Amino acid sequence: MILLFIITAFAVDGSGAIKGFWTIQLHPGRLINDFFAVVGIGGTLLNSAAVGLVAMILIYITGVSFSGPTFAAVFTIMGFGLFGKTPLNILPIILGVYLSARLVGKGLRDYLIIALFGTALGPLVSVVFLETGLPLWQGLILGVLSGTAAGFILPALAVAMLHMHQGYSLYNMGLTCGFLALFAASFLKAAGLPFEKALAWHSENILLLQLIIPILSLMLIGSGIFFSGKKAFKSFVLIQKLSGRLPSDFVDMEGTGGSLVNAGVMGLAGTIIVFLAGADFNGPVIGGLLTIMGFAAFGTNLRNSWSVVAGVMVSTFVFGMKLSDPGPILAVIFSTTLGPLAGQFGYIPGFFAGFIHLIMVSQTGSWQGGMNLYNNGFAGGLTASVFIAVIQWYRNNKNDM
Amino acid sequence: MKRKDLILNLIGEISNYLLDDDPMRLVISLHQEEDGLHLCILDDTKHSEDELESMKKALNSRKRPELAEYYGAMTGHDMLGSARLDLLGWQIKHSDVTQSDSGIKIDLWFGSEKFQSDKFSIPVKD
Repeated sequence: MILLFIITAFAVDGSGAIKGFWTIQLHPGRLINDFFAVVGIGGTLLNSAAVGLVAMILIYITGVSFSGPTFAAVFTIMGFGLFGKTPLNILPIILGVYLSARLVGKGLRDYLIIALFGTALGPLVSVVFLETGLPLWQGLILGVLSGTAAGFILPALAVAMLHMHQGYSLYNMGLTCGFLALFAASFLKAAGLPFEKALAWHSENILLLQLIIPILSLMLIGSGIFFSGKKAFKSFVLIQKLSGRLPSDFVDMEGTGGSLVNAGVMGLAGTIIVFLAGADFNGPVIGGLLTIMGFAAFGTNLRNSWSVVAGVMVSTFVFGMKLSDPGPILAVIFSTTLGPLAGQFGYIPGFFAGFIHLIMVSQTGSWQGGMNLYNNGFAGGLTASVFIAVIQWYRNNKNDM
Repeated sequence: MKRKDLILNLIGEISNYLLDDDPMRLVISLHQEEDGLHLCILDDTKHSEDELESMKKALNSRKRPELAEYYGAMTGHDMLGSARLDLLGWQIKHSDVTQSDSGIKIDLWFGSEKFQSDKFSIPVKD
């Protein structure tokens, strides 16, 4: 996929892709800044490939196997490389997580998943670097320090957040980074930063952007069949029976072939929904679809997702929103973070979780100043935590002795 | 993680799993040495061969340090939903699962890289 993006970038924009890439590095990537709208296709795809390459290098040097969580991480990072992440703003976060690991006598590989998904806080680095009005070098140093400090406390927070929703929200780092970004945004607002709402949304219909996900999905299905033959479909069916609760590594549980087919099917299903909604195929939407495809190896499947997505859609109509608008369409895609709730407790809780998710996600972005790219993960984590608290309270207090 | 916490988490998760079958008897025995520990768990429930195989697979799953440190923190804590033996499998050194006349016997060995479960000082009876 990295190679595909690089080739496409140069085929579309030639050397302009490099210029666009450099422009992105000096762009504050707060939500929602669609890099396609900022620099065009070439530079954006190159940036996505670059952050994907950083992730792949980290996976390689730490010696971690390429499996469900790492597959999810690479797809997610590349997806968000289309709207928010840059090599420049993710490296300080990774450095912070590494220092945290060293402090407690561990290596980066032990916290690799936290480091990779923790890059959701990349915009914190960009904001301090580029939006505080400080001279370039001062801003850069302060931005790097802020990102490193944030990365340093991510492992501690990530585990605490995991206990809150007990693994029933897939994007745990979204909740973690959102929680941390709340503090960072409050601090920066107190320091006088206005945090004006950002919305750069590419809405031009371009065939190439509409075809990226379907082509990639078919390639994944083909790869799955290539790896496992007919067994891939049997594994795919078995994956549908799993709740998806964190950590569910579908690659380990049901095999590579089935996981790849599941990723392809999720990509195609997502594409159909976006088409039917009449939404734009741009950085955030393609990024969202890449994310659910990645998590199709680590918790997302059709069976645990449909009721949550239905809940978001109904919520959209009830509250008079337009499904093709940025907030609702992203909520439809990313609400699959709540899949494990439906997978474990059934479609009705899943539906209501999706319904509430849309309401939450429309508020949480402004709370954290758009500095946590996984805003749906933040909202989804909060929603899951409430559901889990209620279910647990009921079960614990219902006398069965 | 402190050793005491680790032991509590291991016991919590494995108990959660076995208590799902509502056994009338559950025995947990702990033996500690300087660089390792052994947990032996016995119950009086009949488990199918398929379940035994899946338990063995989960408990002896390949080591996943990237998951053990992060998601392993859920071991023995988060009891809502099914118990998950793979969380244990990522953290322990070795396990044996055997069916006895009355029920099941699970041996869990945990220790540092130096720790050899086969050289553990509890004599093995033939």
